[in-house]
Order: sequence, then C-alpha cells, then structure tokens
Amino acid sequence: MALPNQQTVDYPSFKLVIVGDGGTGKTTFVKRHLTGEFEKKYEPTIGVEVHPLDFFTNCGKIRFYCWDTAGQEKFGGLRDGYYIHGQCAIIMFDVTARLTYKNVPTWHRDLCRVCENIPIVLCGNKVDVKNRQVKAKQVTFHRKKNLQYYEISAKSNYNFEKPFLYLARKLAGDPNLHFVESPALAPPEVQIDMAAQQQHEAELAAAAAQPLPDDDDELND
Amino acid sequence: MASTDHEDRRDEEETTVAAEDEDTGAHIAPIVKLEEVAVTTGEEHEDAILDMKAKLYRFDKDGNQWKERGVGAVKLLKHKETGKVRLVMSQSKTLKICANHLVLPTMSVQEHAGNDKSCVWHAADYADGELKDELFCIRFASVQKRHIHVNRVF
Repeated sequence: MALPNQQTVDYPSFKLVIVGDGGTGKTTFVKRHLTGEFEKKYEPTIGVEVHPLDFFTNCGKIRFYCWDTAGQEKFGGLRDGYYIHGQCAIIMFDVTARLTYKNVPTWHRDLCRVCENIPIVLCGNKVDVKNRQVKAKQVTFHRKKNLQYYEISAKSNYNFEKPFLYLARKLAGDPNLHFVESPALAPPEVQIDMAAQQQHEAELAAAAAQPLPDDDDELND
Repeated sequence: MASTDHEDRRDEEETTVAAEDEDTGAHIAPIVKLEEVAVTTGEEHEDAILDMKAKLYRFDKDGNQWKERGVGAVKLLKHKETGKVRLVMSQSKTLKICANHLVLPTMSVQEHAGNDKSCVWHAADYADGELKDELFCIRFASVQKRHIHVNRVF
C-alpha cells in the first residue's frame, strides 16, 4: 500500500513490514538494497520510514513498499498501527545478540494480531560476525510458526536477496519466479561543457585521495 | 560473496543448508497472478568487449566519502553499428543495474591513490533512468584486471 504522497505504479506492489529489535540491522538492510551502501553508523529509526524497492522478475517488475519500523521501544511511534494492510513481513534479529532472538515471538505475535495469514520471513542478520550468540541450530521459532528462515549478512550480502525472492514467490504463488537483469536502456548523449569537465576532474582528483570503505575484503571471481 | 569471515561461518552453513533450502513457510494463498513476460536486456545490439567481476563505489560529495554501490559484473558494450561503447554494471543476485553510461573519449580514468586495484572516473550515469553526475571508483580482484579494464576503455 502506497502512502498518499507516494507515486503509484502501474505494476504490482506490496506493503512489506519490517520489524525486530533496535540495532538488528533493518535500516541497514533496506539501505543496502536501495543504494548499495553499507551503513556502519547506528542511528535509530524514529517511528517508520517507507521506501519503495523495485525488483525485475521473469514475470515483470514488482515493488515492495518497505515499512522500516523503529525497533527501539521509545521511538516506536504508532507501533502496530504501521502494520495495517501489511501484505508480507520480515522479522529481523541479530545472531550476535541473544535477546533480539528472544524477542522474536513478541514481534511475531503483535504482527499476526494485525496481519493474518501473510508470508513472513525470519532473518538472522550479522552472520559474518565471528562470535555468534545464536547458533543456526538454536533457531527453531520459524518451525513452530511456519515462517521461512534465512541467515543473512547485510555486510557481506550473504543471502541478502533471499527474503525478497521468497516473499515475491509466495505473493505470486509461483515457486519458479526469479530475478532477471533489469533492462539497461541506451544512455542519452550529453554535451561536454569544458568548464564542467574541469570541475569534474578537480573533484575526481580530490575523491581519488579518499580511502575506500572496505579496502581489505576479497573479491573473488 | 566477498567476505573475510567465511571460515567461521562454514561449519554453520553446513548445518543450516538443509534448513535454508527447505520451505518451512505456511501455505498462504497468493494475492496476485503474474504472467511470464519476455525479458529484454536492452543490450541486443551490442557486443560485450569486457565482462569482469568488480566492486563499484560512488562518491558521496556531501559526506566526502566513497560509498559502496554494488558487487557484480561490469561490462563494456560496443554497439554493432555505431561503435559507441558504454559501461553497464549489474549487481550480483538481485541483477539490478548499478551503472550505465557512455564511455567518451573525454573521460579521464585515474588510479585510486590508496588502492592500485582501483580506478576512478566521472560519468553522466543513467542507471536510474535519469542522467546523474557521478564520480565512480571500481575495484578489481587484481592489478592485472584493472589494467585490462583501463586498456579497453581507451
């Protein structure tokens, strides 16, 4: 469901509610999908932030309106008021913080009071961290409640597409739905302005001196 | 995936592979019916003269820092008739386009000061369907691969 001030689209769109304790990585996960960046800084979400996120599939383009809700109680805003008309959901916890997993049943209960029978994915985030507090075999809640579970890492992108793929398949009732390369249309020609070009080169020289955020990680073929 | 923490996670993965592939979700009635559509890449009239795995960054001028844009396949595509070359990069797994711009003779490509596997350039990028001035940095798996890339650009 789109907000009144949001552009509606002529392709299928779904309201996705993302819940879970504060600091589990909900906003970082959404941002990773939106821009590609990995945000290290923690700034708690106040109330809710809604972001449209498009995917191209073999059945055309689809959109998730991601309702990224506050995890911290004091910033909760309307809380379960944000869940109304939710069509699918992600419950996030942090595998390096046991309490965030213990609170999953509460998030699930509150969600299910408002949204009955929607596809839900449980995500254990931060699996790139060495010292896990919640091991994979200790995660059992999803079995009791018929949720799908994925171990993910917003940092390393491990499984980061899986929650969306799973939800899209369930919403469309098509287990073979998959992502396809989005069409890259020919970019229009641009006139080169000498002054602008000089400015770009000056900016480029300055930028080239700034370090990359993750210089050290591997990049394997 | 590029990560330094594979070692520790590997034994975890072994125990969870079955669980991950298994659909433990409830049987929920679908809410839309989608039909298969013909897929076009928009690259039908071009030849790929380069296709390599790389990591792309964009420069955030306000924050004066490089930010990740995506990991995936970077391609240089040459138009079969006009001979124009463009750079197209798609993110792995989600397959989303994270760069799409013409490679112009006026484009200058420089080495990144702190990383010899990387180079930087400016482009009017069309990845989001509108032209945006961007400063890009791309990092390859090796210095050799960067050389191959830079040599193809010019």
